[in-house]
Amino acid sequence: MPGGNASLVSLSWQPVPGAPGARIYPLIRKLDTTSSNAYLIQTDDVILLIDPGGLAEQAAQLALVIEECRREHDRPVFVFLTHAHIDHFLGTQCTPAFAHSKAAVFAVQETGAAALECGDGKLTQADLLGQIISPFRIGLPLLTDGRIDSCGVPVSRTFSNGATVSIIRKPAATGLAREQIRFGSGPALDVYHTPGHSPDSICIQMGGLLFIGDVLFAANPGIAGICGWDQSALIRSLDGIEALFADGGIVFVLPGHGRVIAAADAGLMFAAIRADTLALENIVELNRERAIETAAFAEDCMEQVNELFTIMAGRLYYVSYVLEELGEEDVAAEVSRLIKGDAIDELLEAFRSFADEHHKGSGVSIHLALKAGQVITKLQRSFEGAELAHIIDPALVQRAARLLSDYTTMLRGFCPPRELEECDLVRHLEALVTGLSVPACSDDDLLSSEDDDSTFTRLLLRRIGMQPLLSEVAFSFSAGEKHLVAPVDHDDLTDLVTYILEDLVGIGAAAIALQIARDGNRAIITLTGTGCTDSDFPKPKGGFLGRLCDRAGGTLSCAVDGKTREYTISLDGLI
Amino acid sequence: MEITTATRDDATILSVAGRIDTATAPALELAINKAIEGGTRRILLNFAGVTYISSGGLRVLLATAKKLKNPGDKYALCSLAAEVNKILKLAGFTTIFSIYPSEGEALAGW
Repeated sequence: MPGGNASLVSLSWQPVPGAPGARIYPLIRKLDTTSSNAYLIQTDDVILLIDPGGLAEQAAQLALVIEECRREHDRPVFVFLTHAHIDHFLGTQCTPAFAHSKAAVFAVQETGAAALECGDGKLTQADLLGQIISPFRIGLPLLTDGRIDSCGVPVSRTFSNGATVSIIRKPAATGLAREQIRFGSGPALDVYHTPGHSPDSICIQMGGLLFIGDVLFAANPGIAGICGWDQSALIRSLDGIEALFADGGIVFVLPGHGRVIAAADAGLMFAAIRADTLALENIVELNRERAIETAAFAEDCMEQVNELFTIMAGRLYYVSYVLEELGEEDVAAEVSRLIKGDAIDELLEAFRSFADEHHKGSGVSIHLALKAGQVITKLQRSFEGAELAHIIDPALVQRAARLLSDYTTMLRGFCPPRELEECDLVRHLEALVTGLSVPACSDDDLLSSEDDDSTFTRLLLRRIGMQPLLSEVAFSFSAGEKHLVAPVDHDDLTDLVTYILEDLVGIGAAAIALQIARDGNRAIITLTGTGCTDSDFPKPKGGFLGRLCDRAGGTLSCAVDGKTREYTISLDGLI
Repeated sequence: MEITTATRDDATILSVAGRIDTATAPALELAINKAIEGGTRRILLNFAGVTYISSGGLRVLLATAKKLKNPGDKYALCSLAAEVNKILKLAGFTTIFSIYPSEGEALAGW
């Protein structure tokens, strides 16, 4: 019998701890959004299937196991859904064994039951995931308002599959509405209403097993905010689940996706979810339109992330190369370890392959958005930002970090931060381009540090790693007035101008001019690259830069004429 | 990625087309090493057909620079697409090896 540190084994029958006579057959999948785990339970009286999953082949596989059980000893079959999201049930819709109510009776909390009976594409997330569902009958709506008045009094019901069950509404001692269902003399099933991830979410307990549906993921980016998600309900549900654990008796927690969790490990996980949920005040609804917008932002970000990380890794390799030339092999090896170039390349490649498949027509936007979120989370762990910023241009590192953070913010249901504050554009941009024109470490600084090994090494690294962007280009700066003050997002404007200057340097501009002028109540910033060596200009990244300019507080246009490229940033509200 | 190798003016010219990424960078390194092991000390990489280079590709370019640094050795790149040129320039690689607009200019200029 499972217990202690042992876990449940997938695709194998084993006893249910604390429920004599009951056995469980878990089908534990690799974590994905297509299909949930499924759990089969059999007692002498009944066969229960919790969350059949989203795939027809999974439902067919389960139907075969059920058929075998019924051959040994025929019993009625009930299908319980921890909630009515399509990844938990869609597979049953084209599997004959589940398709008619005499074969199996579905049991769902009453809000989910109503959604399934009318084929609601929103609550089931079918719309978000680009699927179509057929309405179907729910024989056993759970936790119905109608049974509240009969609290403590067993209600007996007979079903089309021949089963008679006893349902009793229990007092909500843990703060969670509760019903207990008996299918005969065997162990009972306790059902708790735990809304938040969806209005119909339930947790199901049999003996020492607690089936929790998707509550573990309810605060995750790309999941929080879906139709029916409710922050305050989720927090109340998490408090109730914590109280269930306090009652004792739970041995394993069985989630809708991912591995089985020992009860002892679950407490910390629920505390972390609660903290994450509390931070999700006022997030926007994650519907199909928001998913499309997020996926577009994901692709823009990933293209830029790809370029920034390749440049950062390249800079580091360059530093390492020069150090080796100088006989500093140990320092060179240390420097190379600050960024996991191969891992980053693989992550970026994985996203590209995924996006290619998506554009071939089979993908849905939310999957692309979630994939980007997954890649970005791993990228954030693949470089030592603080250490890198001592060696290569910190603005490069900060921009990469901000891009990753902006995407995560968007995926979590917020808008990337935009804080418009009055800014003297002339002083700000003059300081920015000065920083991009002079070495981070002067000859004098380097020479004066030669007596101190560690200072010398640090300054040498900076000297090698931070090559001023504008050092090899004829650069001019001019302003129509000494001060021009406009409301802008300081960081976004800095990033925007830096991206544009990098673009102009990258396409080989011989000269770059930055001009700031007044046009009525607008400030016009013009960045012009002339004598560009590349006749084959890549298309300016209007989408990404346009969005960044919007967040900075302005609008952006770009004109190309022969070997000249000109970007114009227009900022309203000049003071 | 496709690599074609030719000899011109006593130099080995490797013309590369496609993406240089995690999967293909080792093949480029292999082709370059094969040329060097064959006795050439003058290598020109024609990147006219290269649409993308990853950090793994950048590492191959640096590894080649390390192998061709004796007096008389020649190593350069030519015909870079703007996106690839931008990456090399911003990564600082243009100070390690020369980049020319065309094969002809590279062979005449190095």
